[in-house]
Amino acid sequence: MTPVLRIKDVAKTFWTPNGGVRALEPISLDIRQGEFISIIGPSGCGKSTLMNIVGGLIEEYEGEVLVDGAAVRGCHKEIGMVFQEESTFPWRTAIDNVAFPLEAAGVPRHERLKRARELLKLVGLDGFEQRFPSELSGGMRQRIAIARTLAFQPRILLMDEPFAALDEQTRLLLGDKVLQIQQELNQTTMLITHNIAEAVQLSDRVLIMTFRPGRILRVVEIDLPRPRSSKLMGGEKFGQYVAAIWEDLRDEASKGLQEMEGARTG
Amino acid sequence: MAVVEQVALRSGVRPAAAPAAFWTVTRLRVAAIVVIFALWEIAGSSGFFYSGVLPSSLLIFKAFVGLLLSASFWFHAGVTGFEVAAAFVIGISTGALTGLILGANRYTGAVFEPFLHYLAPTPKIVFLPILLILFGVGVGSKISLGAISCFFPMALSVAAGVRQVNPVYLRVGRTFNLTRLQTVRMIYLPALIPPIASGLRIGLGISIVGCLMSEIKLSRAGLGFSAMEYYRIFDIPSMLAVLVFIFVCAAAGNVVIDRYVRLPGPQTARA
Repeated sequence: MTPVLRIKDVAKTFWTPNGGVRALEPISLDIRQGEFISIIGPSGCGKSTLMNIVGGLIEEYEGEVLVDGAAVRGCHKEIGMVFQEESTFPWRTAIDNVAFPLEAAGVPRHERLKRARELLKLVGLDGFEQRFPSELSGGMRQRIAIARTLAFQPRILLMDEPFAALDEQTRLLLGDKVLQIQQELNQTTMLITHNIAEAVQLSDRVLIMTFRPGRILRVVEIDLPRPRSSKLMGGEKFGQYVAAIWEDLRDEASKGLQEMEGARTG
Repeated sequence: MAVVEQVALRSGVRPAAAPAAFWTVTRLRVAAIVVIFALWEIAGSSGFFYSGVLPSSLLIFKAFVGLLLSASFWFHAGVTGFEVAAAFVIGISTGALTGLILGANRYTGAVFEPFLHYLAPTPKIVFLPILLILFGVGVGSKISLGAISCFFPMALSVAAGVRQVNPVYLRVGRTFNLTRLQTVRMIYLPALIPPIASGLRIGLGISIVGCLMSEIKLSRAGLGFSAMEYYRIFDIPSMLAVLVFIFVCAAAGNVVIDRYVRLPGPQTARA
């Protein structure tokens, strides 16, 4: 079976006037339909670079990204992205935000609103259709952003630390929501995160990346039963996974920290 | 206050404090107006000023009614209205276009924006002699001065607005495969409404100033000219009545801009 998403020897060097900075060493990865993958790594490991390459925002890179076996470059309708920053349009109501990509694609008004209403319901925001983002909490706005990306019906959903700006409790509840969505839609998802517990809670596989230049240090299969929820976090096995991932990550994270402090003092 | 009201209405929960606050605010506003009138009357009858310099508000009101009934006033008002409208339309449209070009292209922006930036605060009245030579004494020079005046705030406001469009919105647009035209229509345009509105507001005020100034300096028609005529014959109530009329019109223009050039949703009221 061809994987939905195949990342083949993807590497990236950023060129500056002072020479090149190797952000990513060649990375290869196959993702199955319906699989949930998390990429975890220290700041500056190139995980956002990888995501921007897969999402098509970076078009200059080595290697290939294939969706259903076909190479893609640039933004692609089969790949949807959710960003870390606040990205809902403040001038649109919740429902019009979600309908945005459908409007751009020329879907008739009645149909796109119907679809947007279903998606708002899916992310637990039914009843808030006519609210503007400024009237909603950060967690609700991020759910709108997720629904908006889902409205485009991407084969692959990419999320770049979508919960980073939220408080811990909201983050846990949103994690549950994401699990539920993924189960209902059998949505193939790639999540970038700093948060080990979040990665273990949500993923089938967790990819641990090294500090710059980023490469895959280890892939951890998370063998926990589905359907899952945040209740998982009390379990013994859960704790073992978190501890094991931290063991790997600690060295890399401290390298990153040293380099940053070195840059500051040097 | 208006913000609280609006948010409360939208969310369907009206905080109990809102109506009370509304009445407090209204009362204070009315009180402020009453106090200003009282001070005016007291100052006028105090004898500290030449008699007639601060006529009582009743006299001004009478003069105002007289103006509204006179045909020559409406002629002057029409001249000024036409000038301001033409100046506004010309200045705003060229300003918006210039702002878009400066904002969209980093190099043109870097090259030309300093000029705009430093020219913007210079009083445009210094251009009047040149404009008089170019367009002659009459409507042309007055319109051009008004247009030049409101060109600058609009251009600067739009240029800054284009650059300040949140880059994440543009990334969202890219991931949804928006065409260039869709990006302009669905992202840039709504994101630019607040800077456009502020450009319009400042531009309106400043184009009125431009037109009136040139009317006062060298003109045979318009409200600025007519105010100066009343001043010359020392008909102070009529002069003040003209000023009140101008003030009311300018305020009304602002109200219209606030009312119609805005984004939907409560966030604009807060901005």
